[in-house]
Amino acid sequence: MKKSEHLTDSMFYIMAALTKPRHGYAIMSLIEETTGGIISIGPASMYTIIKKLLTQEWIYLHDGSDSRRKTYLLTENGREVLAEDVKLRKQMIQLAETGLKEVEE
Amino acid sequence: MRQTKYMMSDGLAFSEEKDMEKLRRLSLKGWHVCDFKFMGYILEKGESSDYIYNLDYRSLEEGEEEEYFDLFLSSGWSHVASEAGIHLFRAEPGTKSIYSDLDTTAEKYKSSSDPMIKMAISLFFITALLWGGAIMSSGVLHSILFTAAVIFSVLVAIIAWTAIAQYSNKWKTEGKHRLASLGKMTLPLLLLIAVIIMFFVIETGYAIRILASMIIGGIALPIIIRGIISLHHIISKKTEENKR
Repeated sequence: MKKSEHLTDSMFYIMAALTKPRHGYAIMSLIEETTGGIISIGPASMYTIIKKLLTQEWIYLHDGSDSRRKTYLLTENGREVLAEDVKLRKQMIQLAETGLKEVEE
Repeated sequence: MRQTKYMMSDGLAFSEEKDMEKLRRLSLKGWHVCDFKFMGYILEKGESSDYIYNLDYRSLEEGEEEEYFDLFLSSGWSHVASEAGIHLFRAEPGTKSIYSDLDTTAEKYKSSSDPMIKMAISLFFITALLWGGAIMSSGVLHSILFTAAVIFSVLVAIIAWTAIAQYSNKWKTEGKHRLASLGKMTLPLLLLIAVIIMFFVIETGYAIRILASMIIGGIALPIIIRGIISLHHIISKKTEENKR
């Protein structure tokens, strides 16, 4: 598996919400709440990405007893991938932040 | 009394957006789509309301439907109908689209196109065998094989064209506009090449015969299908009325 594979924004948001077990709609709500409604994930995109993360084995089915609201959680592998991506995103944020500061000074 | 009518689709791969717009306009007039019917939709008369429509392509396994439909319902999209891995949803205007990013939108078109490509490839081999048989045989067998070969050729062309159109939708989503327009031109180009080859390889009279049957088949088939569906719909409605 390529660990360096870049996550799309939507994949990153969903994985960020899955450090705790959550079902699809809970993930969508959490993302919307966190960003004040600026970022929202459509249900079809959500479903596509859940299936993709499952086949990548970055998340696993945590509790399937409620067939309408199955919950998922990051695997050990998924946690590593997410941590790598956070590092990458931090670097870009730093670039932007230092750039903005330089102009101010 | 339940009042229904049939609306033909222009082919979802070619006119998904147009179809969804049309369904919205019909809902405003009080005709709400309630089901898929062979190459189109069934509309039901009700009160006029403003609904928007979205489509998803997905082959769901057993036990997956509940989660899938619940996710849509929670987001404001109620399920209207499903057929052959195509799912139609309806929502109030202003509801956010079911796809929120380009990557997954591109995947939507790819996943609907892949099974069609597989089907087109296997049908292509059958078609090639039929043509081989038709050329080598004679008499009644020749006529049968020839007819079958023509029908299968048209079928392969339609499926391949649809699959390529879905790929063009994918390319358009990904911003590859040149590739997308090329994709939409593939069929006319292939047909042109096929015609040229036919005229060079086999005798002209025979080629004209094949060509003529293909053109007639290509025009007549959709008209006949359209006619049969409308007729079938009218008849089944009449019998339903008689039962009451």
